[in-house]
Parts: sequence; C-alpha cells; structure tokens
Amino acid sequence: MLSKEALREIEAARAEEESARHALLTALRTVQRERRQVGPEEIAYIADLLGLSPAVVQGVARFYDQITETPTGQHVLSLCRGISCYLCGADDVAAEVRQLLGVETGGTTADGQFTLRLVECVGACDRAPAAMVDDRFVGPVQADTIHALTKL
Amino acid sequence: MAQLLTRNVLDPAQRELQTALRSGAYLGFKQALSLPAHEVVAEIEASGLRGRGGAGFPTGRKWSFIHAALDQPVYLLCNADESEPGTFKDHYLIERDPHLVLEGVAIAAYAIGAHQAYIYMRGEYASIAETLARALGEALDAQIVGPNCMNSGYDLRITIQLGAGAYICGEETGLIQSLEGRRAYPRVRPPFPAVHGFLQEPTVVNNVETLACAARIMAEGAEAFKDLGTKQSAGTKLISVSGAVERPGVYEVEMGHPLMEFLAHEAGGVRRGRGLKGVIPGGTSVPILTAEEAAPLTIDYESMQSAGTMLGSGGMIVFDEDTRMPHALLRIAEFYAHESCGECTPCREGTGWMAWVLRRLLAGEGRPDDLELLLRVGDNIEGRTICGLGDASVQPVRSFIQKFRPEFEALLPKEEQGTLAWQSHGHGPRSGRFGSPAKEAMRSQAVDGPPTAAL
Repeated sequence: MLSKEALREIEAARAEEESARHALLTALRTVQRERRQVGPEEIAYIADLLGLSPAVVQGVARFYDQITETPTGQHVLSLCRGISCYLCGADDVAAEVRQLLGVETGGTTADGQFTLRLVECVGACDRAPAAMVDDRFVGPVQADTIHALTKL
Repeated sequence: MAQLLTRNVLDPAQRELQTALRSGAYLGFKQALSLPAHEVVAEIEASGLRGRGGAGFPTGRKWSFIHAALDQPVYLLCNADESEPGTFKDHYLIERDPHLVLEGVAIAAYAIGAHQAYIYMRGEYASIAETLARALGEALDAQIVGPNCMNSGYDLRITIQLGAGAYICGEETGLIQSLEGRRAYPRVRPPFPAVHGFLQEPTVVNNVETLACAARIMAEGAEAFKDLGTKQSAGTKLISVSGAVERPGVYEVEMGHPLMEFLAHEAGGVRRGRGLKGVIPGGTSVPILTAEEAAPLTIDYESMQSAGTMLGSGGMIVFDEDTRMPHALLRIAEFYAHESCGECTPCREGTGWMAWVLRRLLAGEGRPDDLELLLRVGDNIEGRTICGLGDASVQPVRSFIQKFRPEFEALLPKEEQGTLAWQSHGHGPRSGRFGSPAKEAMRSQAVDGPPTAAL
C-alpha cells in the first residue's frame, strides 16, 4: 500500500517512540500524503502495522482536519479564512476562486489536480489573504494568482 | 529598537550552524551545562521571564515545579503549535533562527532534568519543520545535542512531531494527548503536567519564544534581560501584527513600548490612511480594545491587564473604521465553533450557538433579545470547561458586543416579527469534533445554518 520510503518513515517513528501509539500521528500523516486519504482500507492497514485496533485509528484520524476520509486531489489548495485574512478580503478571493476553478469548497477540480479547502488561521497573517498549496505558503493572493498556480 | 531574539533574523545564512555559531549560538547552552541544573532554574527565575505563549506564567517557577524521583523520566515539550488566530511569531523565529529555538529547548531540558524533548509543531508548519529538522541534524552532527552534549556527560534527544490540523493541540494538555497519539482532548488539572504530564511523567510545556528568551538569558545573564522592559514584564516581546495595517509582520519591541507608537511606526499605520476602530492585542482569545482604550496603553502584561485585556500571544489584529464588527465577530465565533474539541458540553454546544445566533442576526433573522442571548450563552461557557478554549471563545463575543453595541443593535428586528424563519433551517447548531459528519459540515460552513450566501 505504501512506498518503501513512507514505510521507513513510519517504522522510524515507531522505533523512536515509547509505544506504537505514539507513532500513530506520524503514520496518519504519512499515509495521507501517499494515499491522499485515510479511508477504511488505510485505517485497517495502519491498525495492522501498529498493532492498534481500527477503532482507535479511526477515532484519532477523525479528530484532525488534515486527515481526510475521502481522497483529495493531487494537491490541496487551502485558502485561509482566519480573521486577519478576512480583514484583507479573503471572502472575495474565495468566491472568485470557486468560480474560476469551477468547484465548491471541499470539491476537487475536474482534472483531479486540486482540492479546494477553506481553513482556519494558518499562521501566515503577514501574507493575508494567505493560502497554502500543499505545505507551501503563498500570499498575499488574488483569485487570478491562485488560478495561475493551478495551471502550472 | 531592542533586539534580543531577532538580532540575526535578516541573515538567511543564520539557519546554518557555522553562521549561527559565529553569532553566538549555543553559548547559553554551554553556560547552562557548566552549572548545576537548579542554578539554571534560579537564573531563569531571577530574569523575570514569563511565558510568551499567552498565559504569562513565570517560566522559572514552572521549571521549579519538577520534582522527579531518581530514574524517573522527565519531558520537555516545546509548544510550536501556534494556532491562535493572528499569531505567526514562532513561525517567523523558527524559520529564521532555528538554532536559537533548539538552544532554548536544550537549556530547558537540562534545567528540568529531561533527556527527551519534543518540539510539537502544527501540521501546517511542515515546511518550517524541515528547516528546523535540518538545523537539528547539524547540531546533532556537531555533538551539541544528542548523546553527551558538548562533552558534558548530559544526553538529550530532541524529536520534532508534526500535528495534523487542530487548534486545541496548542493547549498544553491537548498537546500532550496529541503527542501520545490520542484525540487532543485536554485533561483535567490537577494533576498538572509538572506532576503527571506526557506518559504520566513530570513534564514542562513551554512556548517557542519563551525558550528562545531562555537561551539569551543563559548567554547574557538574567540582569541584562531584566534591564529590558518594565518591572513586571522583563525583556522584549515579539509582536505579530496583521489585519488593517500597512506593514503586517513580526516585530520585536521592548516591553513597555507605547502601543500607538508601535502601530504608527513598526506596523506602518492603519492601511490606506483610515482611522483605527479597534485592536486585539494578543490573539482572538483576548478582549478587543477600542481606539480610545488603546491610546494610552503600552505593550506589556500589566498595561494590557489594566485595560481589561491581555498581552496574550502578541498576535495583534488591527481593525479599521470600515470594518463591520458583527461580520468580523462571526468569523471569530465560527473559528471557535470549528475548533472546539467537543469534550465539554458548554463549549461544544455554546460555541456553536454563538456562531449560529450571530449568523441569524446577520441574515436579518434575529430576535429582539439575541444580544442578551449571546452574552448569556457566553456566561454559561465561561469557567465551566476543562481547558481555556471555552473561556477564550467568550472574550471576543462579549467585548465586541459591549464595545461596538450600536452596530449589533442595528441588526435586531425593529419589531417582533419575522423571527421564526431561522427555525426552518433545521435543528440547532453543532460544533466540535465528535464525529466525521459534523466535522465535514463545519468545514463546508453548512452546519444546518442559514445559507452563508445570504450574508
């Protein structure tokens, strides 16, 4: 299910931690990155790998926003809607981006490349309105800069 | 301007160990290692350093609470979760001077007798974690940290852990829970983490900026630190300013610096020459100040307290005269509704209701007593929850309504009419993270509420 590299990452976390449970967060992050989701199959896989019950894995997975139960696109485009971004026109940008990409919040572009998310303050308020393309911060953004990013 | 933590941030090479060493990195750790641990704690206590994450608790005293039995493990957790809206100072510091942060972590760990430290960073900071991991790798190779730190006989392992998107992980016991691989439900105190923390062992949780201050204190002495700032607020503070200002960014100021001078100079003034309407001095969890209230204040713990607010995280958010305060408050209320972990009923339900009532007010479907209802819901959250998120969610609601009341009153129905429409949208609000459907619903802002398009 996972690449060798990803498996190594999880095993390294497990080796370093006091118990398998501590490696769970790292495992969830790694699987999300590789599989772009942590659905029932992935939950069963992680549970097996770490020797935890699937219920435990699912319970933790559902707590965190960056772990999704359905697959995201190749990339996740997160528009910040924190208060500082709001004050800098984030709502208008979000509305335009939805229109330009032809997707609703939470939706994925027809080519499967980008999933659009609205997220709470990402801690980049000096770049408001800020956005993230996967783990990369961008901003201040306008709808057309976001649109251009998705065409690269 | 006083520069304690930000001396080297403009040099991109500061991230590399050799450059950092030339500017004095790890001299504080070296100094600490030459002293018995209790003297390091005493030095930090003498400096008057208070926690920079928001609460302002004296750091040395926090460290002094650790009393471990022989062979009992002790843990130092560095809180780099930084999710308080408007706060991005730790982001800035880790990105630009990672060795300073690592030095602070090492000093604190040594002082409390920990041989394992974790730096817990919010999941959104994955790219910054790479910078920090590279610096950690260099420090390990140079045998500054790791086994036998700088030939002192002291062993320290430092591990970086990334979260996966949840504000509550910045709450210290939530952070501990998350690090243990659990849902980040905060724990009841007592017992405090100093007694039963990570893995039930004695634990100290310190903010990034606090630890960076500790590094400077050990390098330059408690007196030098105390010489900066005011009587009750020693040292400097990183202020991350954003919102309606010309030059948003992170600035270091000496404690006691006049607030209006900071806004006019460092922050470049209110954008487009507009008038100042209000300012939140320390992240959305502290009460807002009107322009009039802010005018005489200085940036330090006691001045902010005298005005009924807090210095908090130093996440300063500026509102100009064009801001529609009820709309801004809704955005803040929605944040807390989304981020309530769902553990305590008053917060889980109350944060949802506050956002819900604000939304119906803005949709023109308010009831005559909605402002009183909002305040009453707040009263029923405050002081009735395990952690501070509930209390925090009330501060903006109460202070916005108190201080900008006419704007909210203008939303109330003129007469008692047409107030039933909102009920047709379904049952009440839901918030928190008790299950996936609710989480997904909150994500898309739907939450059974009036369609947001109506706003």
